[in-house]
Amino acid sequence: MESNSNSPDPQIFDSLRLELRRGCLIVAVLAQLRAEHYGYTLRKALADQGLAIEESTLYPLLRRLETQKLLTSQWREEDKRNKRFYKLSPEGETILTQLLTELNSINQSVNTILQNSTSEAIS
Amino acid sequence: MNPTQPTTDLLDRYLQAIGEYLPTATRDDVLAELRANLQAQLDDRSEELNRPLTDPEVAAILQQHGRPIVVAARYLPQQSLIGPAIFPYYLMTLRKAIPFALIIFFLARASNLLFVHTLPDLTAGIAQGLAHLIPDLLIFVAWVTIAFAIAEYVYNRNQSKPFRLTWDPTKLPAIKPQFKGKSRAARIADLVFHCLWLLYVLAIPTHLYLILGPSELYFRQFSVTFAPIWNTFYIVLIVFLVFQLATKFLALNPTFDHWKSPLDLLTKVFGISTTAVLVCSKTYFVATSASTNQAVLANVNHWVNFSFRIVLAITVIDLLVESWKLLRPSLRIQSLVF
Repeated sequence: MESNSNSPDPQIFDSLRLELRRGCLIVAVLAQLRAEHYGYTLRKALADQGLAIEESTLYPLLRRLETQKLLTSQWREEDKRNKRFYKLSPEGETILTQLLTELNSINQSVNTILQNSTSEAIS
Repeated sequence: MNPTQPTTDLLDRYLQAIGEYLPTATRDDVLAELRANLQAQLDDRSEELNRPLTDPEVAAILQQHGRPIVVAARYLPQQSLIGPAIFPYYLMTLRKAIPFALIIFFLARASNLLFVHTLPDLTAGIAQGLAHLIPDLLIFVAWVTIAFAIAEYVYNRNQSKPFRLTWDPTKLPAIKPQFKGKSRAARIADLVFHCLWLLYVLAIPTHLYLILGPSELYFRQFSVTFAPIWNTFYIVLIVFLVFQLATKFLALNPTFDHWKSPLDLLTKVFGISTTAVLVCSKTYFVATSASTNQAVLANVNHWVNFSFRIVLAITVIDLLVESWKLLRPSLRIQSLVF
């Protein structure tokens, strides 16, 4: 049976979506950690703003970003429980600024390309 | 609201399972952080429901969090035996080197078969040789992998200029000329010459001088003649030549071109089978009278057999090379995306 060429494999979309999100998630995490959070509240805060992220991805990511000195962390008691709170470090702030510039530049370029391609298609 | 005892028990067991896969240095720290996060999540859920969580509800949250080994793996440093910077070179080396490794393997095995061991059964010898193919190939791949794993290690230690291989676009090879198939005239000539060749072979039994020439007289003088194996060989040869004739006739049609390579391979296999028929036999000439020198005859038979073994080895290698050329495009990895 001949397959419909207009319906690509959904796995392709999932894989591309994952690639697209990967870099953006790091930017979102860094931006959200301008205010102090521990893992669970950070995840909730991101999810509340429409950026759901799996725990198993987020928690190791926090430690990796801390190893890269983009975050600082400290253990502190809250609600009678010890929690590890993360915050953006000065180095992290610098990197975040650079990443945001890059992200905006990409966004602008993509928008321009989309506008041009749409107007070319109409004409 | 605090979770009940069974809830804590399940969480403890989950964290213990994760801890088994974590390195000692960071285990306690990671588990403490995971405990705090999961506990907060469980408490949140409990508050939402306004009651303590049941074991199945806790199990569902932990299940969603992930299998212990997978969760632990994400806390381990990202490691790869051969990373994306080195991997294309590794893949290319394997692709280029494996054909040579195969040729060396078959040469070594063929020499062993033909010159060292005089196996009574050639088929058993070939089967024995082929049985070593996969293990030997795996050993070769393992050594290449080890070499590249070392290169990866060194690369990671010195992530700097020496490993950034430079290249010059002006040194790229010139464009290869496009292969053009045989012209129609060449195909017709090929067919005509093959017909003549077939007629010549068909005439040999009744006109022996066509193949022996003046040496026919020596055959009579030394009282020797062809052994019965040649009758079998002759029948196989005729079938082979008729098969070739059919392929050459089909080749007159240009649409047949995409079948040419597989049929050429099949022809080679047929040719090897024909040679194998001769190799299996040890007697090619027999005496026609008691006065024939048996020692000389045995010597002649031995060297004729030796010659056929060499021919067999060469044709087998040729078949392997041609098979590789035919199969290589379909084995080629379509893309490398990192």
